[in-house]
Amino acid sequence: MSKPKVAFFDFTGCEGCQLNKLNFENELLDLLELVDIVEFREAMDDKAEEYDIAFIEGSISSPSCVERIHDIRRRSKILVALGQCAVSGGINAIKNLHPMDEVQETVYGKDKYLFPSIPAQPVSAIVKVDYEVRGCPMSAPEYLHVFKSLVLGRKPEVIDHSVCVECKLRENECVLDKGMFCLGPITRGGCGAICPTNGQYCIGCRGPVSNINKNGAVEMLKKHGFSVNEALKRMKMFSANELDKKIEWGR
Amino acid sequence: MNDVTNSKLKKLKQYAFDKDSTLKFIEFLMQKTEVIAPQNKGQASYSYEIVKDAKDVVLDYPRTIQPLKKFFLPPVEDLLAFDLNANTYQEEKIEAKDKIFFGIHNYELEGIKRLDYSFKKGNPESNYLTRREKSMFIGISYEPDSYHFSESVGIPADKIDGFCLFFDKISNKSDYMVFVVDENGQKLIDSFGKVNEVKSKAEITAKKFQNKVKLHYNRIPQVFDHVYKSKVWDKVAERCVGCGTCNLLCATCYCFDVRDEIEINAKDGKRTRFWDGCMLNTFAEVAGGENFREKLNQRTRHRLYRKFKYITDHSGELHCIGCGRCSKYCPADISIVEIINSLIDDYTTQQKKN
Ligand code: SF4
Ligand code: SF4
Ligand code: SF4
Ligand code: SF4
Repeated sequence: MSKPKVAFFDFTGCEGCQLNKLNFENELLDLLELVDIVEFREAMDDKAEEYDIAFIEGSISSPSCVERIHDIRRRSKILVALGQCAVSGGINAIKNLHPMDEVQETVYGKDKYLFPSIPAQPVSAIVKVDYEVRGCPMSAPEYLHVFKSLVLGRKPEVIDHSVCVECKLRENECVLDKGMFCLGPITRGGCGAICPTNGQYCIGCRGPVSNINKNGAVEMLKKHGFSVNEALKRMKMFSANELDKKIEWGR
Repeated sequence: MNDVTNSKLKKLKQYAFDKDSTLKFIEFLMQKTEVIAPQNKGQASYSYEIVKDAKDVVLDYPRTIQPLKKFFLPPVEDLLAFDLNANTYQEEKIEAKDKIFFGIHNYELEGIKRLDYSFKKGNPESNYLTRREKSMFIGISYEPDSYHFSESVGIPADKIDGFCLFFDKISNKSDYMVFVVDENGQKLIDSFGKVNEVKSKAEITAKKFQNKVKLHYNRIPQVFDHVYKSKVWDKVAERCVGCGTCNLLCATCYCFDVRDEIEINAKDGKRTRFWDGCMLNTFAEVAGGENFREKLNQRTRHRLYRKFKYITDHSGELHCIGCGRCSKYCPADISIVEIINSLIDDYTTQQKKN
């Protein structure tokens, strides 16, 4: 059996995910033995190349990105969105909450027309995404799990429970009991509740659970002493695209 | 079961323990075997831990974060290791080990009794049952806070059967009246030897519960016969965010999820199980991706029917022990007693109409 061909592509993101991949080199090295890395970040000239697994980092936020992701999809058997920018638009999507013109002006000034921009989209808004590795930066153990599963021809586990579950499994003292606020109850687990475990609150970097009760979440944050606006702002930090629809309640 | 009623209580032997003898007694127990007791956790929380120093044991505490089940059904547990090439597997070896649980509230032991029932029925769960063997429990009284409602589910302060000894705090002091509940308790006291029997007819101090269910506990299952379609479930679901905390920390929830993880060598792997719960998205998902309890109102309803109806129909006991964890730790402030009382209101209105 020939080694699966694996490629990595970089779109709009901060490269924090790249750095995070280097955080567990040993296991990764074992894994890399099993695959053939054909492309890393920069597209090669040979457009005819096909991939067994394509990992996509970053959000889609310019017309050329759209073209490029279509092209990659055409040439990939399995496509994985890597990190929250790719999964949901991530923190990039905050710009979607403001008029596009304003955003471009802030970033590029009068040169804004030289840099065409579109609202930051998750990869899945443009092409079919087979699997996701969530988190900002992405969770390294989850990345390893997905990568490993795919290389071994297995279906990766999709996590759709809250961060609280993982926090309770570890019997952490809940940060709410220390007077902090926390987005853990509505945020998708998979990170091992790493922030509350280290005494921090969860800022929701993995996006919401699939059936999030948005109104309930706002109500919950109001109980923690936030205004509705502040609650929405906190919830949208990493999840503007996922949450922008229909949060009206409590206004 | 040897049920200790109040009239029998008066006949139990009693010993007076002060702070110092209690500490010495814990040290004495530690010489005999592993002792597990409540200790401080974080800034203002508690957890059961193996005692390394008797001074760490906290005797006055409202409740621990995880219930006692964590020692018999660990939150995360490796079940077996397998080898895909050789097509073999090796189960984790579990051995029964002597342990004494010290400073346990009575509802908590009732929780263990409910789990015993659930795990003995049908296919006995051998990992749980093996760990459960050779466990002795020494109880302690507690001041109910605004979340406890054990009395409302049939567990008043003087329910102490199943313990070997019970420490009842003498109000406003750090002294205890210790009741000898069974012969194991008597043996412990005799070999400890440093305390004197008190010829009193003291009873276990009654406790005031602020949190109460409106109806007598033996009528609760009947209420559940009539409220399946109640609007109360929708009302709760407006606020519930489905985090699953109420399942995971429940003293009587026992569901778990099993996952296999294969090593990079594509050959070795292990099977692990985790606490799971009916409030969570993937729980009711069946093969094919369909989820038959998709909505949060259905899930909350299922959760409560498991506590007050489905298992109760078979076991004859409520499977909620009133520890209040589901409510105390709910980030959306949803109170199980409020839910039950709203259901009771629905039920009584219905009864009046018919
Ligand atoms: S600290 Fe946050 S994630 Fe952990 S249990 Fe509390 S609310 Fe949930
Ligand atoms: S705890 Fe929350 S903020 Fe921290 S890594 Fe997990 S999802 Fe992200
Ligand atoms: S703890 Fe509260 S918010 Fe979380 S699932 Fe249970 S009832 Fe809902
Ligand atoms: S349902 Fe709530 S109060 Fe009842 S046993 Fe479970 S956690 Fe405790």
